[in-house]
Amino acid sequence: MDFTPNNAERPKTNQEPVVVFERIEKSFFGVKVLQGVSFGVGVGRIVGLVGENGAGKSTLMNLLGGNLQPDAGELRVNGHRYTPRNPKDARAAGIAFVHQELNLFSNLSIAENLFLTDFPLLGIGVPWIDRRALRSRAAELLRQVGLDHSPDTLVERLPAGERQLVEIAKALGAEARVILLDEPTTSLSSRECERLFALVTQLRDRGMALLYISHALGDVLRLCDDLVVLRDGERVGSGATKDFTHDRLVSMMVGRQLNQIYPERRAPIQTGSSESMASPDGGAVLQVDRISQPGIVRDLSFKLGAGEVLGISGLMGAGRSELARILFGLDPFASGEVRLSGELLTGSPRERIRRGLAFLTEDRRQEGLCMEASIADNLALVGLPANSRTPARFLDFTGIQSAVTRMREAVKLSAKATDGQAVRTLSGGNQQKVVLGKWLLMEPKVLLLDEPTRGIDVGAKFEIYQLIHQLADRGAGVLVISSEIEELMGICDRILVMRGGEITGEFRRDDFDRERILAAALHSSKA
Amino acid sequence: MRPRPLRTRTFLTAMTAVIVMAALTGCGKPDAPGAATQPPAAVGQVKTIGVAFETLQTEFWVAGFDKLKAECAAKGITMLEGVADGDASKQFDQVKNFINRKVDGIIIVPKDGKTVIPMIKAANAANIPVVLYNRPADATDARHTAVAPDNFAITRETVTYLVSLAKKTGRKQKAMILMGDLSDVNAIGRRDGFEAAVKEAGDAVEVVARIPTDWNQEKALAGVQSAMQANPDIGLIFTSSDFMFPSIKSVLSNLGKWKKHNEPGHILLGGFDGDATAYQLMADGYVDATGVQDVYWEAEQAIQVILDAKAGRPAPVRIDDKGFAITQANLKEMESRMWGAVVAKNKK
Amino acid sequence: MSRIIGSEFFVLFLCLIAFAAFAPFTPGFVSTGNFENLLTACLPLLVLATGQTMVLITGGIDLSVTAIIGLSSVVGALVMGGEQGWLGGSPMAMPVAVAGMLATGALVGLFNGACIAWLRMPAFMVTLTTTMFFSGLAVWLAKKVVNAESIYHLPPAFLALGAQAWMALALAVFATFVAHVLLARTLLGRWLYAVGHNPRASLISGVPVAGVTVGAYVLSGIFAAMAAILLTARLETGSPNHGKALLLDVIGAAVIGGTSLFGGKGKVLWTVYGVLFLSLISNGLNLLNLSDFLITIIKGVVILVAALLDVWRTRFVRGS
Repeated sequence: MDFTPNNAERPKTNQEPVVVFERIEKSFFGVKVLQGVSFGVGVGRIVGLVGENGAGKSTLMNLLGGNLQPDAGELRVNGHRYTPRNPKDARAAGIAFVHQELNLFSNLSIAENLFLTDFPLLGIGVPWIDRRALRSRAAELLRQVGLDHSPDTLVERLPAGERQLVEIAKALGAEARVILLDEPTTSLSSRECERLFALVTQLRDRGMALLYISHALGDVLRLCDDLVVLRDGERVGSGATKDFTHDRLVSMMVGRQLNQIYPERRAPIQTGSSESMASPDGGAVLQVDRISQPGIVRDLSFKLGAGEVLGISGLMGAGRSELARILFGLDPFASGEVRLSGELLTGSPRERIRRGLAFLTEDRRQEGLCMEASIADNLALVGLPANSRTPARFLDFTGIQSAVTRMREAVKLSAKATDGQAVRTLSGGNQQKVVLGKWLLMEPKVLLLDEPTRGIDVGAKFEIYQLIHQLADRGAGVLVISSEIEELMGICDRILVMRGGEITGEFRRDDFDRERILAAALHSSKA
Repeated sequence: MRPRPLRTRTFLTAMTAVIVMAALTGCGKPDAPGAATQPPAAVGQVKTIGVAFETLQTEFWVAGFDKLKAECAAKGITMLEGVADGDASKQFDQVKNFINRKVDGIIIVPKDGKTVIPMIKAANAANIPVVLYNRPADATDARHTAVAPDNFAITRETVTYLVSLAKKTGRKQKAMILMGDLSDVNAIGRRDGFEAAVKEAGDAVEVVARIPTDWNQEKALAGVQSAMQANPDIGLIFTSSDFMFPSIKSVLSNLGKWKKHNEPGHILLGGFDGDATAYQLMADGYVDATGVQDVYWEAEQAIQVILDAKAGRPAPVRIDDKGFAITQANLKEMESRMWGAVVAKNKK
Repeated sequence: MSRIIGSEFFVLFLCLIAFAAFAPFTPGFVSTGNFENLLTACLPLLVLATGQTMVLITGGIDLSVTAIIGLSSVVGALVMGGEQGWLGGSPMAMPVAVAGMLATGALVGLFNGACIAWLRMPAFMVTLTTTMFFSGLAVWLAKKVVNAESIYHLPPAFLALGAQAWMALALAVFATFVAHVLLARTLLGRWLYAVGHNPRASLISGVPVAGVTVGAYVLSGIFAAMAAILLTARLETGSPNHGKALLLDVIGAAVIGGTSLFGGKGKVLWTVYGVLFLSLISNGLNLLNLSDFLITIIKGVVILVAALLDVWRTRFVRGS
């Protein structure tokens, strides 16, 4: 399926935009999050909303979706004043909000999810569900979004990309005229992205108004008709997409010329490719020898040198995250050896942390942070044993406090956030910085990172890359797993490619080539 | 993390606040406005009595409680109540509250003969006379008076009557006893009375089931059911308390064995207490005999002890409720002395 | 006003209000004797609720505490009981008995913790079953050894813990203080909170989650055993029935104080306030000579209102 990019040829309509934000203001706890933002979304247009985390995009969406009320300013939908008190009011006004974290019930079927709040009834006085009508109406909606499943399929069987289409079908079922999409592509494969874009364009052509929020600037530039750029709660730019370039967008978002996306990488002290490790441990801080776990990884070996940033590329399902979990001791393996600084690495995560291994997982909300706990508590967590005195392990509070303050500065955590604040309230980028800070506090010898910049804005990404380099420069070995080849090419000294649990390619910095890396990810080593 | 010293300081501040509040209570004027603590009663004048019952779960206890209330009202005494629902600790709190209120006497139905002893000691320390109602305490030198029935004698009398009926049938009868909570001295006495009477019967009666009910209706039901299943030809059943008759009735009715005393297939039934249920069942002819405690008399005696103590007269250590066995044979002449009959008639 | 409602001392203020409400109308409320009664009455509950708080912080729950009290009480009495006790009459009786009681609590706690942490069984289920098992065991033990349900003639040194109010108070305050220090100032304390917030993230961050969980239940068991010491001494009897009625009060007091049933949130001091509040209400209502059943109803309503106030207050303070 293809779609028309940037409808440059289509004439602009003269009508008043479907959705109008006029001088919207909103504060939380005395902090002003939106200061007089105004813009509109026209019928049959896709408007892209871009900005760093904390710029105010989610707040705007929540205002439109009925989760919050503005302190000042006016919202208009279809020309009328729009003051929703809850999401139900928003739905009634024809506004559908497709959240980043999907709101589907995986134990129910597609049809049940689609009509959860509005089941077709038999109309006999007793509220019996009309299953036939349910199925046929659901099938119709699925056809509209191009999803080829029976409406009775349980949602838990669907991959992320198809669940998203179900959400959109839900919006269509509610007869929405305005659809908000918040970071829709974070969990999608590239094929699923294409499918989504085609659908979105189709909906636009049918006269919907769409508001599209994303950090993937490339997608935004491809897909959207108009753009609105937010920075620190203000609209700093808007207009037709054709008037923007990638660099201009980035500099508007960040507020300065961002010459680089990636910090400059000095040549590492030791480049550890498989051949150059002459001596048995050859300065390798992490040595993986023929690790096998049936169905997950097969006969996998590599070395990570001190001061080296090693990237691991590959498609979803290649076994990269599983490898990291095996290295950290969370999952078992059947045969092989792992050595840290020459010594065999065994035991629980706690034991490995003591040896100097650190692991930033790909799911920070579930596995990286205690969401309800404070920033300080999260930052200190790994370092607590080191900051406690025997016999009863009394905590050294001054030591902990100074470590926390030190880390906050090191990761450049937003100054607006107080130590005692719950991390739940932070933006994605700041949350990830807290996780990273927690690990850096223990001064690891080896740091494993799994998708460290997922769902994070451009400015924060840069800062995280800098932190990775600084850590490597101090002599640690850093392993970065990422699905973005450009990112790995930007920050790594060496890239390994995995497919089907095996390493199918190795590239040194001078040989970095996007097509060849991708090819190695797609074909097996025996190709 | 906020600096910890602040936290511990806060802890200590808070504890100080608690202690200050406590000090305020301590220095509280005994006659703060509205605090209606009684001025010490003149010798011989009883103003309040504290009554602490373990439970009000059966007719028997309710009858006793009501009688105490009525007696107090008749004599112009204020009665403070407490029901502990089987919790010894709660009962202790209630007794302590009575002591604090400077009552003139305390009447206790203890949960168990041992846990009541510290309660009696506490009352002794405050010079308040203590009466144990219907359930005595275990051996102790704490000063108190126990008004209790002679469970052994009354039960033996009752069961002897049943045994005589069994002998009349000419066949050897199988017997079952429902025992009470064996931490209750009353239950032990009744069990012993039953065993004694059966022993005297010799070969005429054989005990095949002894059911521990812990004074619990559900356990009684389950126990009777399984016993009847194991021994379908049981001919004599004794329950340590009448309140369990409904369970027995339920099981026997289901088995088609709920027969009156002049019908064939009748199972000999005996109980203890003399409550309204037993009275009705006897009047209808299903139950053969039951041991009667004179609940009203015991209540009167309990209050009398306190009045006597206040007047300076010495209190006896034990007052025995002789009681009697009421049977189908003497029903008409004795029913006026059976408290359950009185209750049943008052209900009509 | 909003600062007061949102503050940590909210329940303490409720206590003061309750105190002020009862004082003018309740005979005997404002007196030294009553203060002593109130204090001694609330001490077992305080110790029990403190132990429970630590388990609640990890996101679990310990329903078996009353069974632990019964079992410990019987074990202790069997060791030091005058007539048939194993060490009856010997000067070693009391210390060995006390050690035995604490060990009982710890072992039951260990059993609970092991099932929950290593067999991955839900805390509610595990502790519900252990409560039935161990209270039955307590009764069986008592009946088998002394053929009765309560054991008497305990050594006077032990009984002093019940008779002398200040000794019981000292024990309870000491236990509460130890718990406070553990939670606020030690590594184990921080780990308890972490496991309550997010066990997966804690495991990855190096917290020995299984060990910490077991530790929480062992502590709860030990505190339950301490409550058993207080109750057994006070009633001068070892019995499997002590403290049966306390279970709901324990959870109620912790929740009123502000400890979350979902884990990650709670403090010993809050529980102290909760216990104080519940005890004040009980004591006041008792003195008003209301019928027992009415008191239970009123207590239930009060706990419900306090819990609702707590929910409202967290939302209000969060400002969302």
